[in-house]
Amino acid sequence: MILVKLLDIIILLVAPFLMAGIIKKTKAFWGGRKGPSIFQPLHDFIKLLKKEMVISNTTSLVFKIAPIIMIVSVIFASLFIPLASGESIFTVSGGLIIFAYTLSLGKFFALISAMDTGSSFEGMGASREACFTSIVEPAFFITIGSIMALSGNLTFDSLQQIMSNAGHYGILIKIFAIVVLFLMILIEGSRVPVDDPATHLELTMIHEVMILDNSGSDLALFTWANGIKMMLISSLIAYIIIPAGLNDWVNIVAYLAIIALISVIIGTIESGMARIRMSHVFEFIFIMSSLALVVFALVTAKMFGG
Amino acid sequence: MISFFTGIIILILSGFIVKLYDKKYKILILSILNTIASSLYLIPAVKVLTNGQSLIQLFDFNNLFGTVCFQIDQLSAFFILIISIMNVVSIIYAKGYLKAYADKSIDAHLIFFQLLVASMLAVVSCQNAIMFLICWEIMSLSSFFLVIFENEKKEVLKAGLSYLVFMHISVIFIMLAFAILSVKSNSFDFSTFANILNGHRSLANIVFILFFIGFGTKAGFVPFHNWLPEAHPAAPSHVSAIMSGVMIKTGIYGILRTLTFVGTPSKTISFIVFIVAIVTALYGILYAITQNDIKRLLAYSSIENIGIIGTGIGLGMLGTAYNQPIVAILGYAGGILHILNHSIFKELLFLSAGSVYTKTHTRDIEKLGGLIKSMPQTGILFLIASISICALPPFNGFVSEFLIYMGMFKGLAINNFFALIIMLFGISCLALVGTMAILCFTKAFSVIFLGMPRSESALNVSQDNSKSMILPMCFLALLTILIGVFSVIAFAIALRPVNLLINISQYSIIPEVSLIFFITMYALLFLVILTAIILMKLKSTKGKISMQETWGCGYNKANNHMQYTASSYASPLLSMLTPLFKKVFDIEKPRKLFPESSHFNLQIEDIEEAYIINPLIKYDEWFLSKFESLQSGNIQSYIKYGLIFLIIIIVGSLFIK
Repeated sequence: MILVKLLDIIILLVAPFLMAGIIKKTKAFWGGRKGPSIFQPLHDFIKLLKKEMVISNTTSLVFKIAPIIMIVSVIFASLFIPLASGESIFTVSGGLIIFAYTLSLGKFFALISAMDTGSSFEGMGASREACFTSIVEPAFFITIGSIMALSGNLTFDSLQQIMSNAGHYGILIKIFAIVVLFLMILIEGSRVPVDDPATHLELTMIHEVMILDNSGSDLALFTWANGIKMMLISSLIAYIIIPAGLNDWVNIVAYLAIIALISVIIGTIESGMARIRMSHVFEFIFIMSSLALVVFALVTAKMFGG
Repeated sequence: MISFFTGIIILILSGFIVKLYDKKYKILILSILNTIASSLYLIPAVKVLTNGQSLIQLFDFNNLFGTVCFQIDQLSAFFILIISIMNVVSIIYAKGYLKAYADKSIDAHLIFFQLLVASMLAVVSCQNAIMFLICWEIMSLSSFFLVIFENEKKEVLKAGLSYLVFMHISVIFIMLAFAILSVKSNSFDFSTFANILNGHRSLANIVFILFFIGFGTKAGFVPFHNWLPEAHPAAPSHVSAIMSGVMIKTGIYGILRTLTFVGTPSKTISFIVFIVAIVTALYGILYAITQNDIKRLLAYSSIENIGIIGTGIGLGMLGTAYNQPIVAILGYAGGILHILNHSIFKELLFLSAGSVYTKTHTRDIEKLGGLIKSMPQTGILFLIASISICALPPFNGFVSEFLIYMGMFKGLAINNFFALIIMLFGISCLALVGTMAILCFTKAFSVIFLGMPRSESALNVSQDNSKSMILPMCFLALLTILIGVFSVIAFAIALRPVNLLINISQYSIIPEVSLIFFITMYALLFLVILTAIILMKLKSTKGKISMQETWGCGYNKANNHMQYTASSYASPLLSMLTPLFKKVFDIEKPRKLFPESSHFNLQIEDIEEAYIINPLIKYDEWFLSKFESLQSGNIQSYIKYGLIFLIIIIVGSLFIK
């Protein structure tokens, strides 16, 4: 068991970068290129950590501490989510709330650190990010909250158990919940079609533009934190899919396979479509909210419809 | 109990003796006297909170309104605790803040301040309807005089009058409810009310609704909130702080006190309270985002927080109505703890906004910026308050919102279709309110304190305010962290008043307590690790960072006008919700080959004020103008009116008998 826990820590360190690597590899595959190794983002991270920092002279203390608060809050939030081992470190009732609000602390500092530079680009990114979050989070609460309503158990660890026992409504609930969470990865992880991490036109970006002035280890920490966030939501998807009661090792293999699969799907989507116009992004996000309501409707149907 | 009344008497007397002293020492002496008084009136409250036994003092006003009972029970004690903190903090802060008004007489202002605190203490401890109304009225009037401190300004007077009118509409409902109760019970004593409402379901509902409207107006529930965003910007900062921090909470106190004697609330009433509260929270935060006047923004955010407190109380009522004690305990405890938490961070926000105002003389955040460099202490204090008002761990706002969330999640288990929908609606709305609060306060903090100064007034600030303004704020900031970290203790204190509403000892709340204990440990761990890493980083990178211009995508002459503004920061969300506002544009486009002048101005008006209150006032004016001919200025005709009125009363009373 200790071995598995150790694996969790390694996953937290490495998997976000591997996900980014797989996404890049997939894009290269669809583009007919060979592409960089899937370990390239990890190399980039290590290299960035060693680099010297240049920061704007408009900035204040907030800018310096924001990356740290971001990464610490993301890591603390990850303690509530079951990773490869299938059980989280803090298995507490109401973990959902602590998880979401701890993440929000990191987001709060990311937003104000972007505003700290006095750059109009970064202000624009922060403004969009703040707006998107305010639509995404309620949808997330509705989805996970209604699934948890099925059993009354309010820990993330119970997700796997609940979904395995959900019966014939369960499959529908599973499908819709997975789609909601997947859209959340695209939005929170700022991937195509919401945002394009590869562009260098600052006006089209949301998350990337917020960290325009970060460099060196600060930039590395932001990238890592964003990667972990994507991985945490992917873990939730994994445990909605994987049935409970599997052998530990089978569980781990299934978990890793699903995380890899999600990365491949993200990469494929990015190769297949362009990002949508900024004014239409809201409509895209509202798809997520509507689907979250569908999950809720299905849960009520299951509870009261027999 | 004697020390409690000694405290109140010191408060009132000290207000009047300041006239004797030189202006320099007035507030200093008052601060000392207030500290003594607050420690005196706090003693019985702490005693009640620790051992749970109420203290009672009877006064005999035989001929006037019988025996008046003053009682400090757990609910009163909790409010006295809040009042004492805010009282001392505000008066010490006022010393620095009022320095700017050297040419103005502050005697009356100080007297009304003392009266406000004393009347609030009396309101939360009084158990007699008539005495309660008298103290309630003193409270409203003294706060009115505090609001119109800068009465030479026209808009201040207007705001004050609107406040006065709202308070008197609210007091009519409270009076009506008390009248019904005292006619039925033949007594003015609160303790008799419970007996006569026992078994009278419909009467209890009517009385509760009346009280809810009356007290809800004081608290600022939508749709009775309009006075709040008017009165707060008009008042000096320490007054808005104590009004927003404590005075509007007396409305909440009234609702909680009503709940102690109306018995188990009905399901419908509980739903109404719950929904009204959630709408209040959403409405408040939405309009807070639209505001660029920092104090109006904070006032709307107070409405939001009143909504959150109300959600907790509504949840508690739903829990009682559906016989789910754990839901009820979590809801009530969350709501009550949020009263304390909101007092602390909202007071801190108002005081730091005042601190910015004394230096820059503007409340328009679009004219500020970059102040964290010239006013570092105020900046960090405002940041701490912003984080805790967004309910982010490890600060105090998180604990109370967590309790309310937990209550709603537990409420999902109520096996009722309607309840399930309402609970999930509550959860998603609270999540929405939380994220919008983040938008609102990242906007406020970053536009005021970060980036580059946007105007001369922000550029010319050279140093932070004096210690007498900063230290009381530091104390509040310390409290936000302490309550956030030692949430177990705060939870235990918040459970005391809940005892009056639901008998906790019958139920096992061990899982809840251990959960809060977990949060304590979590917050402690989080805070320690975070501080350690931040200190490590700041130490290791010191001197190794090179400073350059902000990256402008190749353009390197960026100036302060190119920064993102507050309006543009809020615009993506607001453009999505356009139908919920009334936007008034004032645009002059640049014309001709050589454009001369152009401007753009966008004013966002409160939709309720624009479409309900203003037409109502217009109609009212039209209606009343029909009676203008009655006012002839002729004494004889006035005597005639009096005579007619008397005859109607006498004849009317004969018929009623």
